[in-house]
Parts: sequence; structure tokens; C-alpha cells
Amino acid sequence: MTKQNQVSGFIWLLLGALLCIGSIQLNLGGFHKPGPGFMPFLTGAILVLLGFILMFSGSNGSKVEEGFGVKRFWREKNWKNVLIPWLSLFGYLLLLQPLGFLPTSFLFLFLLFKLTKPESWLEPFLFSGATVVLTYFIFSVWLRCPFPKGMLAFLTR
Amino acid sequence: MEFLGNLSLGYQVAFSAANLLYCFIGVFIGTLVGVLPGIGPAGTISLLLPVSYGISPVAAIIMLAGIYYGSQYGGSTTSILVNIPGEAASVVTCLDGYKMARQGRAGAALGIAAFGSFIAGTIGIIFLMFLAQPLSEIAVRFGPPEYFSLMILAMTIVTFLAQRSMIQAIIMAVLGVALSQIGIDIVTGHSRFTFGLQNLEDGIKLVPLVMGLFGISEVLTNLEESVDRTILQGKIKGLLPNLKDWMDSIGAILRGTLLGFFLGILPGGGVIISSFVSYAVEKRVSKYPEKFGTGVIEGVAGPESANNSASSSAFIPLFSLGIPSNAVMALLLGALMVHGVIPGPLLHRQHPDIFWGTIMSMYIGNFMLLILNLPLIGLWVKLLKVPYRILFPFILFFSIIGSYSIDNSVFDIFVMLLFGTMGYVLRKFRYEFSPLVLAFILGPMLENSLRQSLLVTGGSFSIFFTRPISASCLVIAVLLLLSSIFLRKRKKLTPS
Repeated sequence: MTKQNQVSGFIWLLLGALLCIGSIQLNLGGFHKPGPGFMPFLTGAILVLLGFILMFSGSNGSKVEEGFGVKRFWREKNWKNVLIPWLSLFGYLLLLQPLGFLPTSFLFLFLLFKLTKPESWLEPFLFSGATVVLTYFIFSVWLRCPFPKGMLAFLTR
Repeated sequence: MEFLGNLSLGYQVAFSAANLLYCFIGVFIGTLVGVLPGIGPAGTISLLLPVSYGISPVAAIIMLAGIYYGSQYGGSTTSILVNIPGEAASVVTCLDGYKMARQGRAGAALGIAAFGSFIAGTIGIIFLMFLAQPLSEIAVRFGPPEYFSLMILAMTIVTFLAQRSMIQAIIMAVLGVALSQIGIDIVTGHSRFTFGLQNLEDGIKLVPLVMGLFGISEVLTNLEESVDRTILQGKIKGLLPNLKDWMDSIGAILRGTLLGFFLGILPGGGVIISSFVSYAVEKRVSKYPEKFGTGVIEGVAGPESANNSASSSAFIPLFSLGIPSNAVMALLLGALMVHGVIPGPLLHRQHPDIFWGTIMSMYIGNFMLLILNLPLIGLWVKLLKVPYRILFPFILFFSIIGSYSIDNSVFDIFVMLLFGTMGYVLRKFRYEFSPLVLAFILGPMLENSLRQSLLVTGGSFSIFFTRPISASCLVIAVLLLLSSIFLRKRKKLTPS
């Protein structure tokens, strides 16, 4: 039994149990007339069973990984390269409505391009600016996709 | 006579100026994403779904299908020239293709990959043409019990063919079904697992889910390590394989075509497995198996033919049964449904223009791809030189736009980020996402057919075992599960 299987098996078991509880609250109905909770309950029960099997299975069928946890996750990996784009995506999500599409997208792209080429200011600026303007024309002007205007809403009034 | 009439209709549709243009756009983008590692056809099709809403359904499906089969052509270029597969289906092409390139035979490898793909793609389309309609006629007789059992069989095959652990694949499939149940229950109108969020009333949308699992998580994983690309220097010569190359490869191409076609029909079988199986078959039938991996042309011809043939046959379950066999087909299903077209047994009757027009456009697309991949190979080689650090911000940005523009909803970006993060973590645990996506698509159909069957029988499950087609599907599913358990036990007992 690997620690990896134990952890993931436990998570599925827990998720399945929660699904079963939620389904009971929805009304299971019966075999003759299944209710809205019938199928989710069935799914949850199977998930509990599979989680249990995984927890106590010998191996996951793939090569057994040594070690577990944060170290294994980012062992010899450049984790900053992952974390910064992930945080940028999260930031984009938070800023899109208050700031609007154009400034948020420009900031997002500028940050990512700047990270990959720290020595240059002009190249990230041009890349981000051109991409945002081009996308705006394709999606907003041509395809009429209404992007959030945010603080620039006054321009279209 | 009716068949010839349909063919003629298909040609008329496919040869219209607009559809020719969309076919070219599709295969061009397909080759592009095939060449560039880091974004696959599923992510690209998700991204272009909003664009497809503004055009006719037939043009949309012609373009999106072109991306799918076009990416199979492009994937071989990076495998041969850089030793990095552009697509998962081209992994095995690296083994002999890159060795051939290092021996100065890059042209022959690229040439046979393109010609093999063309031959296999064309034969695959001919089979598709002859098989899809008769299968549709049979499928018209399917009721809820048959559909339920067929979907159970489809999910079982996907998990059986999983490249890693079968139990993990089943968990992913069950999770996919669970996720598909979020939203309003269409029978009773109850909200299920929406946590009071209005955005979840319509359920989780496919595009942000696919973009998160396949796009965002892949970018994050790629960013963990800098991929060292050593592109073959010098001019690529001799793209036309010589007579000996043809003699060595023709058997592999034909075997790959047949194998790919049948594996492509199976849910989850698709392009990846067919290329691996083809390589294994070629090695087994070869007079010199020990030379495989050192630059043998059959090692390129077989898998490249198999993955193209599989990309054609993957349309059979979608067009005749309305059941997608992989994530890309699921997206095509979604694209058609947005246009009010329901793929399935009645597609060829209700929308013959889409059915036959798409098939015919695939012939034309294959010709376009041959031209794109041989004379224009220099263009793709230049593109390979674009570093990933420049590419990934674009991929992330276009994923955001793709998710948002489906429903003009910021919530969908959140869903994409959530599944991207989940996908990144699950990749660490070696989980595969194809069973999840397939089950997510099939989930509502599975639930409805189960509930309808039980309502008809007053709660008896016997209907699934007394109707021949349904019973056969369930028996095959059980046999597959048992054989998987047996194979695992035997593997454990056999000393390595």
C-alpha cells in the first residue's frame, strides 16, 4: 500500500460520503420512481467503495513513487514558475470586473512576459499591448462578446 | 442510388467556398497545435467554440474536425525533428523518427509520416462513409435500457484502456458522472449541489472544465521544468520516400490503418492507444525487431497511419449513436448541440448536409494537410523555434477568453482555474482525465436512461438483462472488468 494511494483513496472516500449525505437530503425516491438524489447517491456510494479499495490496494498499477508530500510535489522543480502564473490567473479573476478587460488583460500579459524576459521593458510592453488590442477587436468588436468594462465604462457612455 | 445522392450532396457542401475556407482554417490550426507542444486539439477546440457559434453548423463542425485530424499530422513533425511529441499520439514516433533524423533521413521520416497519414486518413474516411449510416439504422431501435448499457460499456472500455491504473480511471469516470449531476434536475426541477449559486443552476460547463483539466494544468506542469529543445539543424532534403522506403512501409501503413480504425471506434481507444499498439505490432511482425528504436521506417509509418485512421473512425460513435468516444468528440457534440443539432441515429436523415458534408470535407482536408505538411515543412520548423516562455502567456490568456466568451461569465474563468488547479494536483497523483471528461458528457444521458428504464419497469432492473443488445453490452463490460483483474493478478504473480 503506498502513502499516495492512502491519501487519494481517503479523499475520494470522504467526497463519496459527502455526496451520499447530500443526496439523501435531496430525496432519493425509490427504484420504481427515482428521485433527484437517486443517481448522486449511487455515484457517491461507488466513490466510497472505490476510495476504500484504493486506500487498501497494493499499488496503483503505475511505478511506485518514493516519498510524498510537498517535497515530492516540487522535487527539483522550478515551483516559482508555476506559482506566479497561477497567482496571475487568480489575480485576473479578481480584477477583471473592477478594472475591466483591457487593463486587466494588459497587466496579466505584461507580468507574464516580464517574468520570462526580466531584462527588457519594451518587448513585454509591445507584446502585451498588441495582443490585448488584437483580441479586443476580434472578440469584442467582431464577435460582439461583451467584456467587463470596469473603470473604463465611462468611455462608452 | 441514395448513397450516390448523399455523396453528391456531401461534395456540394464541402466544395462551397466558405466551407473550403473553414476546412483550411481548421487543418492549418490543427497542424499548428500539433507542431507546438503545450496545447492540444481539445484545448484549441474549446478555445474556438465561441467563434464557431457565429458560423453555420456545418462550417463549424468542418473547421473543428479539421483541427482534430490536422493535429495528428502536425504531431509527428516535432517528434521527428525535436524528439518532443507535439501530441500524445506521436510519442512513439520519437523512438524511430528522431533516430532517422539524426542519421540524415529526416526528410524520409517526415515524408512517410505525411504520406502514411494521408493514406490512412483517406481509407479511414471511406470506412467511416460505409459504416456510420448502417450503424445509425441499427441505433434507431435503441431505447433507454440499450443506451444505459452502451454508456456503461463505453465507460468500462475507457477505464480498461487507461494507460495507468484502472481503479484510478474508474474513480475519474465516477467523478465525471458526479460533476455532471450539479445543477437543476431536469425531471423534478430540484437544484442539486449548487450551494445557492445561480451560476451553477445550469451545471458546470464543458469548456471551462476541459480547458482547466487539459489546458491550464498542462501549462503549469510544463512550466515546472524548462524543456530543452534541440532542433535539427540544416536543410531537410528528400521528402519523397524512395522505393525501398515504400516497400518497407506499405505493410506497416495498411496494418496501422486497420488497427487505428477499429481502436478509434472504441471509447477511449482513440489516437494514443492505436499508435502504441501499432508500434508493438510492427515490432512483433518485423524480421528485425531488435532494430526498432534505432531509426526503422516502419516504426514511423505504422503509428502515424494508425493515429490518423483512428481520428477518422472516432466520428462513427458520435455520428451514429450520439456518443462521443473521446474528449474532442465530446466538444464537437457540444458544438453541434449549441446549433440545435443532435448527433445520433437521426443525424444523417435530419441533417444530411452536416453528416455527408463533414465526411467529404475530411477528404479535402487530407489533401490540404499533405500540402501543408510537405512543401511547407520549413514554416513549421521555424515555428518550433518559438520558445515556450513566449507561448505560455498566450495559451493562458486565450484559455481565459475561451472560457469567458462561452457565456460571458467571469464565473466560468473561476471554474477553469479550479479545474486547472485540480488537474495539476491530480497529474501529480498520475490520474488521467479522459474518463472524467467522457463520463461528464455521458452522465446526464446515463442518468436519464436509467431513470426512464426504471420508471417503465416499475423499479425492476431486469429490463437491462432481458433485452439482447443491453444484456450483451453489460456482459462485455463485466468480462472486461474481470479480465483486467485477472491480468493484474497474473502480472503480480509473474516475476519481473
